[in-house]
Amino acid sequence: MFFKIQYPVFALFLLMSVISAPCSAAAPSWRALTPVQREALAPMVQQWDTLPELQRQRLLETTQHYSRMTQVQKKRYRTRLLKWSKLTPKQRVAARKRYRAFKKLPTKERERIRLKIETEQAKKAQQSAGEISTRPSN
Amino acid sequence: MSNQLNPGKIVHLLTISNGKMAESTLSALKNSRQKALKKQSVQVPAFTLASHATHTSFRWTDRLAPHSTLLWIAAGLLAVILLAGTSYWQHLQEQQIDATDIAILTGDLPIDIFVK
Repeated sequence: MFFKIQYPVFALFLLMSVISAPCSAAAPSWRALTPVQREALAPMVQQWDTLPELQRQRLLETTQHYSRMTQVQKKRYRTRLLKWSKLTPKQRVAARKRYRAFKKLPTKERERIRLKIETEQAKKAQQSAGEISTRPSN
Repeated sequence: MSNQLNPGKIVHLLTISNGKMAESTLSALKNSRQKALKKQSVQVPAFTLASHATHTSFRWTDRLAPHSTLLWIAAGLLAVILLAGTSYWQHLQEQQIDATDIAILTGDLPIDIFVK
């Protein structure tokens, strides 16, 4: 009696769980990528086919915006892509959290941090330029 | 003999005759009552049977099973709403992740600030 009554209810929930499961289409191999996707993901050409499915899907999602990026943004994207892909999933989640926290800061505070970072970067660039110029030439 | 029947008198007569009835008759009446109750518990929508829990034929599972078409439609609608809600929520989460990833990868600030 119990199973007879519960069967349709169980079937309904089973159907719901199957349908609501995230539908994950297989991420394409490097060969199957479009020219725009290849251009965006160029730094990843060596690793692409070995990357986990989910990571490939996420990267492909980001390439959808690539054609709308400015030249500066495209350059940044390609430069940072390799480092980003080498992070562990946990590190990426933590980075997203930090970014969101940063975005929530007041504009003044964000500007202050931005200036501080830019100054530090300029100092580093000067230092490395100085090291290169003082290096004895062969 | 009076033609007018007194309800109180009838009850009294029935009670007396009940006591005089044969055991087999009483048992047959009891069985008939049980059968009638059993049939009623199936036909009436199960959710209204909470007060009938003392019946020997009643099972708690009857309360869970929607017997009418209306209840099935309601359950189906609820399932569809839940499914749509879950899908929409997942879609929003994915969009948020994508937007953040792009912002980190293309923003003014270097990636190292967010990665430790």
